[in-house]
Amino acid sequence: MSKLSVLAVFVIVLASCNPSKKPGRSVKFQQYFVEGDQLYTVHCSNCHQKSGKGLGLLYPPLDESDYMEGNLSEVICLIKNGKRGELMVNGQQYNQAMPGIPTLTDLEIAEIATFIYNSWSHDEGIIEVQQVTKMLQKCKEGT
Amino acid sequence: MRKIIVFVAVVGLISSCTKTEKPLPIFGQREVVNGDTVYHKIANFQFVDQDSAIITNDTFKGQIYVSDFFFTSCRTICPIMKTQMLRVYEATADIPDVKLLSHSIDPEYDTVALLHDFANRLGVSSDRWHFVTGVKDSIYKIAQTSYFATAMEDKSEPDGFIHSGAFLLVDKEQRLRGKYDGTKEEDVNRLLVDIKRLRKEYE
Repeated sequence: MSKLSVLAVFVIVLASCNPSKKPGRSVKFQQYFVEGDQLYTVHCSNCHQKSGKGLGLLYPPLDESDYMEGNLSEVICLIKNGKRGELMVNGQQYNQAMPGIPTLTDLEIAEIATFIYNSWSHDEGIIEVQQVTKMLQKCKEGT
Repeated sequence: MRKIIVFVAVVGLISSCTKTEKPLPIFGQREVVNGDTVYHKIANFQFVDQDSAIITNDTFKGQIYVSDFFFTSCRTICPIMKTQMLRVYEATADIPDVKLLSHSIDPEYDTVALLHDFANRLGVSSDRWHFVTGVKDSIYKIAQTSYFATAMEDKSEPDGFIHSGAFLLVDKEQRLRGKYDGTKEEDVNRLLVDIKRLRKEYE
């Protein structure tokens, strides 16, 4: 019995040590999320920070973001194509141009989106590559 | 014999504990002129900051300052450097003789107005943190010959420039006393310690 409880504690500790895993999600979600975490670190975290808090009024936060909540397809488009001009986030105006990353594949964008939409204050579930492909086909000029 | 060795070891240990800290190194060439050592110093400069104020060596008279090279449209290492420099800004808030000097290496794009907006958005004051623009070649030259930092244009780079993420610590005699990687939190921690050590030299 005590062996079992030691094992249980060990498993819990291990599970809590790995922050880039969400409990109770599908294997596919976990793959998207873990890949997205790595891509986010490479492509996004310089400005938006690993914490998702952004930097001053230069780079908007992703953690608490009313903009992200209502604008999934725009977010998908700006990851690929970048964004210029004013952007309101949580009542604050931001105006630093964000360069797009046109080399990202649809799958990579889906992974990044899954990561940011399920980290910090967000819990939106998986964003599938098929959704992303559809949204990317409808991107407006300049977004 | 054994006792003596132990004694020497103990004395050695004690003296190494109580020894005063070694002063920070002084970077660059030095020469002896009429019996006095002349050290490498930051060359004369004149730039304009985010408030259109003229910034020269005199701006930092009697001051310690930390310098770096960046540009506002940079998406690679600069945002990390600014995050770290903001830490230095906040950590030195109550120290009146410590200032920050960030040079734009893309001065044609980074106008005074743009730097003003950038500093405001970062939420920092020009009293303590100057963002400067000026003649491009002067900025590149002072980076390389005075601060021993890399800064130049290179169209093959993703952002169009090659530059180091270095933070440079300059003392009140305008001598270079430390070089830190401004993209690494631990290195910036070392800078914060060194600022305190450097200030002790003037107590």
